[in-house]
Amino acid sequence: MIKEFIQGLLITLKYLGPGHTTTVQYPRKGHRLQPSDRFRGLHRLVPDHDREKCVACYLCPTVCPAKCITVESAENEKGEKYPKVYKIDLLRCIFCGYCVEACPVEAIEMTGDYELANYHRDDFTFDKKRLVR
Amino acid sequence: MVNLTIDGKEITVSKTATIYEAAKEAGIDIPVLCYAKKLLPYGACRVCLVEVEQMKGRLIPSCTTPVTEGMVVTTMSDEIQKVRKTVLEFLLVNHVIDCPVCDKGGECDLQDLTYEYEVVTNRFEGEKFDLPTDEVNPLIERNMNRCVLCGKCVRVCDEIVGYGSYSFINRGFETKIATAFDRGLNCEFCGQCVSMCPVGAILPRPFKFKARPWQIKEVDSVCSYCGNGCTITMGVKDNKVQTIRFNDKIGVNDGNLCIRGRFGYSYANSDDRLTTPLIKKDGELVEASWDEALEAVAEGFKKAAADKGVGIISGARLTNEELFLLKNVAKAIGTENLDHSGGECYKGVTEGLVETLGVKASTGTFPQVEDADVILSIRSDFYETHPVFGMVVNQAVKRNEAQLFIVADKKGKFGKLPNAETLLHKPALEVNVLNAMAQALIEDGSAVTDGVDGLDELKKSLADYAPEKVAAATGVPAEQIKAAAKALAGANKSAILLAYGLPYTAQSKEIAVAAANLAILSGNVDKEGSNLYLCGEKANSQGAIDLGVIPAGSGQGAQQMLDAAAAGSLSALYVVGEDMVTSYPDREKVEKALDGAGFVVAQDLFLSPTAQKADVVLPAASFAEKDGTFTNAERRIQRVHPGITSPGEAKTDYAIFELLANKLGAGLSYTGPAAVFAALANEVDAYKGVEFNAIGAQGVVWGGEELKAATKKVVPVKGAAAVDGKFVLLTGSALYHSGTVSTHAKGPVAVVPEAYVEFGSEDATVLQVADGDMIKIKANGAEVQLKAKVDKRLPQGVVFAPYHFAEAGLNKLYKGEAAIAVEVSK
Repeated sequence: MIKEFIQGLLITLKYLGPGHTTTVQYPRKGHRLQPSDRFRGLHRLVPDHDREKCVACYLCPTVCPAKCITVESAENEKGEKYPKVYKIDLLRCIFCGYCVEACPVEAIEMTGDYELANYHRDDFTFDKKRLVR
Repeated sequence: MVNLTIDGKEITVSKTATIYEAAKEAGIDIPVLCYAKKLLPYGACRVCLVEVEQMKGRLIPSCTTPVTEGMVVTTMSDEIQKVRKTVLEFLLVNHVIDCPVCDKGGECDLQDLTYEYEVVTNRFEGEKFDLPTDEVNPLIERNMNRCVLCGKCVRVCDEIVGYGSYSFINRGFETKIATAFDRGLNCEFCGQCVSMCPVGAILPRPFKFKARPWQIKEVDSVCSYCGNGCTITMGVKDNKVQTIRFNDKIGVNDGNLCIRGRFGYSYANSDDRLTTPLIKKDGELVEASWDEALEAVAEGFKKAAADKGVGIISGARLTNEELFLLKNVAKAIGTENLDHSGGECYKGVTEGLVETLGVKASTGTFPQVEDADVILSIRSDFYETHPVFGMVVNQAVKRNEAQLFIVADKKGKFGKLPNAETLLHKPALEVNVLNAMAQALIEDGSAVTDGVDGLDELKKSLADYAPEKVAAATGVPAEQIKAAAKALAGANKSAILLAYGLPYTAQSKEIAVAAANLAILSGNVDKEGSNLYLCGEKANSQGAIDLGVIPAGSGQGAQQMLDAAAAGSLSALYVVGEDMVTSYPDREKVEKALDGAGFVVAQDLFLSPTAQKADVVLPAASFAEKDGTFTNAERRIQRVHPGITSPGEAKTDYAIFELLANKLGAGLSYTGPAAVFAALANEVDAYKGVEFNAIGAQGVVWGGEELKAATKKVVPVKGAAAVDGKFVLLTGSALYHSGTVSTHAKGPVAVVPEAYVEFGSEDATVLQVADGDMIKIKANGAEVQLKAKVDKRLPQGVVFAPYHFAEAGLNKLYKGEAAIAVEVSK
């Protein structure tokens, strides 16, 4: 019985040693975790040549259950519809991903970016400049 | 009536109904793309196919098939589902899928059907359309790549508007909707095609990319431009009127609108709106608080009332409630000098009709005209002042084959209709022609004389107006006069139309009397469904008359007030919602009056030329911000609803009058428009029994559908003499504008941005005038310069200029005459 007990403890001890640990000293050692592909972090507006892919169809603010997306459409020089204003209020966002699902042109996606803490309320408003990456 | 069964439901409908209409009545939904209530059946889209037991073997288009007795209809089966889906697949072969950027997305019939029938894949392949889009004109955007060829735009433009801008061109797959020679649009810009389009092929350009349909709040109100009283549904977002939405469910206009109604809303959003009260200090208008401004106004009026008196001149675009409060303000000031709209132009109603028929309004309602078989329009400008009523006439003529006569000094839209005959007379001779028609009826004995008063005097005076004599003077052939008179007298149902307004001041009363004489003699007054229409130029012209915003007792009318102020015998003027300097006849006199009155208060939306001359300017609200009622030209009292709030500190006229009355110590206090309406209904006989909150979507017509004439008295009326001169200037209303406020609205301004002088093509050739040339026009010791416009409407020797524009200064020449002899030079 003692033999089995020691065997078990050895396994435990092995995982205490270097190379086997899954605990990360976050954020002290500057580790960045790699979340899964399906993780729903900060939004990103997909760029397309000289502009954003978004055509300001208003489906994302319509579907958004938290009402955190503000879109204002306008006409650019080429006569195309584009979002003059695109803002996400992350304080209200619930990261449900419905905006991504609703988008007919795959212009918005959610990245693995999870470090979203900040000091000022205003900093949680992500405008087009911060979203198009 | 016909009995039939639809989906097992037994229903009875009128025998003129189609299967689609019968189903709709029974609450059964059949999808359609090309059907519209007001258009003739067409059957272009094949989406509405149904099964009929008696016609087995093929599917039947329900929108074009009339019902028959005992018909058994099935509106949904597997086969129907399959066929409808296939039809949609066909439509989607070439249709570009740009729903995300198409402004129709969300209320698109094709999108809805595609969703409903789950057309997720397409069995057919084809090239997507790649046609050029028309985004040249500022109002109507056409993208034929999205067109489903339902033909609604073609039909509405032809059947209702009577313009015929569009047609199908090419064949087969290349078929498309286009204008003549596939050029840009150059039409009335009424936007009827926009409202009809079931997809995003024709869209309102001012609304491009502004909002999605579901984000818009719809507010039903009444258009504030002309006396037609069309229902307009404002699309409101972000406290702005973003667009006018199509609404054929309520109102008098059946969803029809003109350019002013559909695209003229933007003055409410204008950045030029007054937002704070202004007080003149050291010769300059400076911003002030409401308290200061009202204090100054009250002080000024009190002082003036104690001195030589105060005159109040109002516009006719205030609500009934506001006009009622204004009367109370006048009482509080202690003045009887109260008038509206220049004080002359409406006399056809207040004096002309009162003396003859004993009524103060049109006797019928608009829809009755649709069934008329003879219509007499006095002045071709009737279409310009009341375009949507004009569309009713179009339908009467085009669909019901009514005979239309136009007594006019120029040709116009009406004259181009089939069955239309223009009695083209020399300028200013309307009365002569009408008198001649009356004489023709008396001569051939077909005149109705039973129970008619004043016949002997009339006969005596009409002796001078034998058709032959008048023909020589007016240029209208005697035969034509006689034929028109005969047709009018022989009609089962007839309509006589006449519009009044500021540019039609001359002979306002005389023309109305002559028209009423003719109405009496031709039997129009007695026959059911036959009516005489006198239509006001402004949204609440009729309301102003009903409420008695006219001089009473010893009070002065507008023109006397102006004369008195110019002579220094009136101490103050209160101008509400009128730009007198721009729109009243004789600018010199108006300016003198404004200078001569010691104290002038202007209440307006914009810093108009009149407001610039005021001592205190009060910022008022547009119709889009008001709650109340308008009474239209057919006596229909309709509710106006507020859609937005006023910019800055601007207040509704209602609020201003209340505050001012309190400052004057009158203690005027109502809980709201409903209470004011109750008070006014107590005072105005015609409005008795009408309840504010019970005024429904269709409004309430006071006096009933047909107003009985109280008297039948013919009154002798003198015609005018022809105006001598090589060129004669006529003024009037342009189709694209109404009053002066539309010159602040982007839509109308985009089409007609500035004043012009119109030449007939013959004169233009002789004078070598081309579009855009600057023309000097001299008359009455004044000269104005206007851009030339060449058209085919005008007879030789006649030029026309619209009166709406402040900068043009047309009223330097126009002093209230029907026609002005002018010198024209390049």
